[in-house]
Amino acid sequence: MNSKWKLVVAVAFLVLLGGGVACYKSMKLGVPFWRGAQVHDWQIEARVSFLATGKRVKARLALPTAAVEQKAGRESGSLGYHFNIERDLGEYTAVWAAENREEHQALYFWVRFPEGPKSGGEPIPAEAPELGNASLSGAVGVAANSIVQRAKAVSSDPDALFVALFNRFNSDDVSQEFMLVRSHYEKEFKSNALILMGLDLLEMAGVPARMAYGVKLDEEAVSQVPIPLVEYCDGAYWKVRDPRDPGAVLDGREIIVWHRGGGPLLDVTGGENSKVIFNVAKERIPMASLSDLQDSPLIISTILGLPLAERAVFRYIVLIPLGAFVVVLLRNVVGIPTLGTFMPVLIALALLEIPLARGLIMFSVLIGAGLWFRFLLSRLNLLVVPRVAACVVIVTLLMMVMSVIANRMGMSGGGQITLFPMIILAWTIERMSLIWEEEGKHSALTQVGGSLVVSVLAFLFMKIGQIQYWAFYFPELLLVLLAGILIIGRYTGYRLSELIRFKTFADA
Amino acid sequence: MVETSHVQMRKWWHRWFLMPCELRQRGVVGINMRNARFLLPNNPRRLYRLVDDKLQTKALAEAEGLSAPETYAVIRSPHDAARLEKTLLHREAFVIKPARGSGGKGVLVIDGQKDGLYLKPSGTGLTGDELRHHVSNILAGLFSLGGHRDCALIEYRVRPAKVLTDISYQGAPDIRLVMLHGYPVMAMLRAATHESDGRANLHQGALGIGIDLATGRTIRAVHHGKPLTHHPDVGVDLIGIQMPEWEKILDIAVTCQEMTGLGYLGVDLMIDETLGPLMIEVNARPGLAIQMANGVGLLRRLEPVVKRHALHPGEGHAEKIAFSKALFAAKLPG
Repeated sequence: MNSKWKLVVAVAFLVLLGGGVACYKSMKLGVPFWRGAQVHDWQIEARVSFLATGKRVKARLALPTAAVEQKAGRESGSLGYHFNIERDLGEYTAVWAAENREEHQALYFWVRFPEGPKSGGEPIPAEAPELGNASLSGAVGVAANSIVQRAKAVSSDPDALFVALFNRFNSDDVSQEFMLVRSHYEKEFKSNALILMGLDLLEMAGVPARMAYGVKLDEEAVSQVPIPLVEYCDGAYWKVRDPRDPGAVLDGREIIVWHRGGGPLLDVTGGENSKVIFNVAKERIPMASLSDLQDSPLIISTILGLPLAERAVFRYIVLIPLGAFVVVLLRNVVGIPTLGTFMPVLIALALLEIPLARGLIMFSVLIGAGLWFRFLLSRLNLLVVPRVAACVVIVTLLMMVMSVIANRMGMSGGGQITLFPMIILAWTIERMSLIWEEEGKHSALTQVGGSLVVSVLAFLFMKIGQIQYWAFYFPELLLVLLAGILIIGRYTGYRLSELIRFKTFADA
Repeated sequence: MVETSHVQMRKWWHRWFLMPCELRQRGVVGINMRNARFLLPNNPRRLYRLVDDKLQTKALAEAEGLSAPETYAVIRSPHDAARLEKTLLHREAFVIKPARGSGGKGVLVIDGQKDGLYLKPSGTGLTGDELRHHVSNILAGLFSLGGHRDCALIEYRVRPAKVLTDISYQGAPDIRLVMLHGYPVMAMLRAATHESDGRANLHQGALGIGIDLATGRTIRAVHHGKPLTHHPDVGVDLIGIQMPEWEKILDIAVTCQEMTGLGYLGVDLMIDETLGPLMIEVNARPGLAIQMANGVGLLRRLEPVVKRHALHPGEGHAEKIAFSKALFAAKLPG
């Protein structure tokens, strides 16, 4: 009785705590509880890093005009730096300044804006477009001139010229002039040589052009470097285009222009090795509630205050308890036999990254082939630990072979199978072969089949968008899940499998 | 007299499953109930090591003067394993088993030697190298619970009494008693079949034969959950066989409970031709198949014991046996 009451109290406490915090977040702070009510925002984190040389430090990072002028959110993070935003003729720059800094420094700037077709690279009126003085001399100059003339001959206006020029760049032009000019630029500039060459050629053709920088809106691209773009003037407007895809207007759903209008993207005085990298994340809750959340004393909300790269890790970590819950449910209430308790959770996590059918095929092939090798190994009478280690080696090689075959067959992403937990696979093979020998293939197949069924069900559960949303934005609901697990822990009724097992039970 | 109250109408779903309420009515205990109501409250974690390690169980048994198979040798290191054959030189028959094994995993029975080969009961011969490899697998923890390092036990090969070998296809049948608070609640005999390949595991096709606690006679036999009266391979009658020295068997079982202190446990015994009943191992997590073999739900027997134990906590050895024999005697039809 006593322990029963303890359980009731614990469950009630967990449900009230988890549910209460979730309610508070949802009602008071306005975090949408249902996924349908969420907003679609992008959050971009710019991380400026450099080695300070011990003197006065000043870092200037150009900012996207749209994000500063519109009501979209922005925020900077830097301990002990004086920070302000400079405005100069419609261009915005974040300026950090500090004295006597040494060693590695990192400055952060966050921008938030709604998802939409606007990329920030829309045409803006050009007031007095002046031509730079791009001049090349000697053989290189002659060659450059002939490229320009040829491009001009096939195009009627600056837009067409831009497309013609960069299309030739991208089509692996191997004409002598091109190679000559290119090697000249590659010698002169270390990075972005082709784009700088394109800028100069445009200028030679009478089209004013300058560098711009963009950021790809791709959550998977971790720590991306700024993407160089080209901004040119067609006589009346400045336009930004991607030189890798010159014919298309920039799509605001895939890329955003971070900086345009010439001038440097990043300028650090008093520091060396400066660079800026970007991380991008989708934001699902309104900005007002997010800042409330970050100011509120709820410890759980700190997950949303982490740098984006670290936050991304939690996207998967919060799913593991969900998988564990499914395993508990299927083992203790349904009674599906599995090989090892939490192997199915790890398989399910791996499946999240791979298309389901392919993941299952790969798993079966790996287990099947591994088992065959394991039986070959058993003839050598090896000791247990070396035998499992040998299995790990074989599983690794099998994965490589499968990746290569998948690649040859034109299936991309074969490399993702490395996500399968290899040590677990090797142990699975070892355990399975033992069960095979001790209890027969029937038992072995039942248990592996059971594990697969459980992991697929766990995967399907973790795949539900609403579940993922709750786990990530309402992690306190995991306490309610914990309460559920505690209740199942005291479930003394029959398992579903036992209804079948004891079906012939007749009263004597 | 026909007990109409228990006879039920056969419903369409009985072909595939029984409803939970029907199982409860029959007093069937499921795994969850066994764990939550009987295992966890009565078997403290610290006592498990006494029965999970057969070396410790045997040491306890020796202190109590309980009959168990003689231990010839304990192999603890690869060095011992290398000298295995020297240790065994003068032994014709023996059994090698892991000290922490479970469910009969890793048990190797050698019946005799011929031309330098060690013969298994099935007649296949093993070389000394194969024997050593088996021992080194045991040492590495291949068969032990949780894969921990283990040691190998070499002990006396039980020569089962003829009554028992008669009803088994190869292999030696063993007797399993389940006890709660020291009261025997149920007993069964497990006999190998051709299908179970000399093993005594019910889900591998061995026979489960229920034994009447009061008399030690077999009352019912099941194969894969279905009742039968004759051995499927040997053809002999399985019902009404008297276990020899039944009183001593009950006595050993109750002593096992007293020496380990476990509240809910299973005791496995074998009956030797000359030495009589021998304690083989004690199991802290006995399975549920025993209720199928007896055709009685475990709960029917566990609940009276729980009540009795609450009312008369300090009952002695003989009183417990008397209680079980009186209350749990099989009600023979007619």
